[in-house]
Amino acid sequence: MRLPGFEYLNPQNLDQTLDMLAEHKDEAKILAGGTDLLVRMKKGLLAPKYIISLKALDSLSYIKDESDCIKIGTRTPIADIIASKPVQKHARALFQACEKIGAVSIQHYKGTIGGNILQNNRCHHYNQSDFYRSGRQACHKDGGKICYAREEADRCNSTCQSDGATALMALGAGLTLAGKDNKREVELANFYTTDGIMPFAMESQELLTEISIPKTNGESAYKRLAYRSAIDYPIVCAGVLLESDNSDKIVRARIVVGAMGRAPLLLANAASKLKGKDMNDQATFKDAATAAMSSAAAFAVHNVGSTLEYRCAMVEEMVLQALKEI
Amino acid sequence: MEKLQITLNINGKDQALLVQPNDTLLEVLRDELDLTGSKESCSEGICGSCTIQMDGKPVRSCLTLAMEAQGTKIKTVEGLANGDELSNLQQSFIDHGAVQCGICTPGMLMSADALLSETLNPDDTTIRQALSGNICRCTGYSKIVEAVAHAGKPEKSCPDCQTKE
Repeated sequence: MRLPGFEYLNPQNLDQTLDMLAEHKDEAKILAGGTDLLVRMKKGLLAPKYIISLKALDSLSYIKDESDCIKIGTRTPIADIIASKPVQKHARALFQACEKIGAVSIQHYKGTIGGNILQNNRCHHYNQSDFYRSGRQACHKDGGKICYAREEADRCNSTCQSDGATALMALGAGLTLAGKDNKREVELANFYTTDGIMPFAMESQELLTEISIPKTNGESAYKRLAYRSAIDYPIVCAGVLLESDNSDKIVRARIVVGAMGRAPLLLANAASKLKGKDMNDQATFKDAATAAMSSAAAFAVHNVGSTLEYRCAMVEEMVLQALKEI
Repeated sequence: MEKLQITLNINGKDQALLVQPNDTLLEVLRDELDLTGSKESCSEGICGSCTIQMDGKPVRSCLTLAMEAQGTKIKTVEGLANGDELSNLQQSFIDHGAVQCGICTPGMLMSADALLSETLNPDDTTIRQALSGNICRCTGYSKIVEAVAHAGKPEKSCPDCQTKE
């Protein structure tokens, strides 16, 4: 498949990159590894006029182990994160998620963590060839007014299938976004809009530069379900974080379910079932997992393969497995 | 569209090329340099038949812009053999019947070669993990895994290689 034509821009530092973004805005797309962007371009889902390559920006590829957090540069390859000792120790959910992203030949220096967080939402009515889509009216994400995934939906219901984002949200990660004249930090949990057309709450002249994961005394875990163990996107996934006090009582819990909605779902109701309970109380885990299933089921639509009933049932299973692993 | 001058280091040789920004590395290899060993199959990063190595790591050339490959050492399946002499890995694929239709083979070889250059005597799980990004639609995975395992340990006596002189 041929890529559509574009102008290739090759900034040498961050300032140049932000200048270019500020100048070209929506007409430009950032190219890190390209494993999501180039596929969408080949399918005719987008045709940016400019491609801004991060190839020369080695300064955005790092993992810093600081006293209260781990900082990861946006262009850090997935393979570096898998190999990182601080990530394995303090952010196990992210380590487990990264292991599942793509396959070996995508993880090192092609697939990046920034790209994984910003991978576009997917829907099996939308992520299709030009030819397939030409046979029917355009859906919301394609510029039309119809949703094939949910009848009479007034907006796009495409699904966020990022492994990395689900794990990072469970870990309470924050993002740093840089624009030409401003820099801001945002919690990953507040980074999403409620529309699948543009799922991320960021401006077109902004660049995701850094991911910061707070260190806690807690333990985290990530579980996912996909057709194949490699290459495939998850059809259900769950990231959990539990923090306990000296007497094994849970003082803080976060449960995040991914691949069920337009963004990873931070489920406060399910997590609240765990607070104050014993770390080894399997019955409570089951309660929390069931609550996660009923909360998540409200968001899901039938658009990433398998049946909706099966995916909903598996939410409970993924959350339970992740909790038991801690 | 305007063509741009780039230099790519392919199989140890610098090649000066004129490419368009939207040319993928795979298109340049196949159409400009006649290195047709790397195959285009799905063209969207799923199947792995276009796998080549950049700086010793397996990479999908269908999802790599030729522009982005500048400054790296590229190795294609044509770079495995030493002149007319096949590499151990290639010979092992033949001896173990690891090739059926052959479309996945160049990608399998490049992924396996990258694994063997890092890991001596990899076990079954490691091999399967390293090849997890390569799909064989003839489903001949067992033979492929055996061939890679054997190439990692060539001195082992092996009934599949008895036909070899």
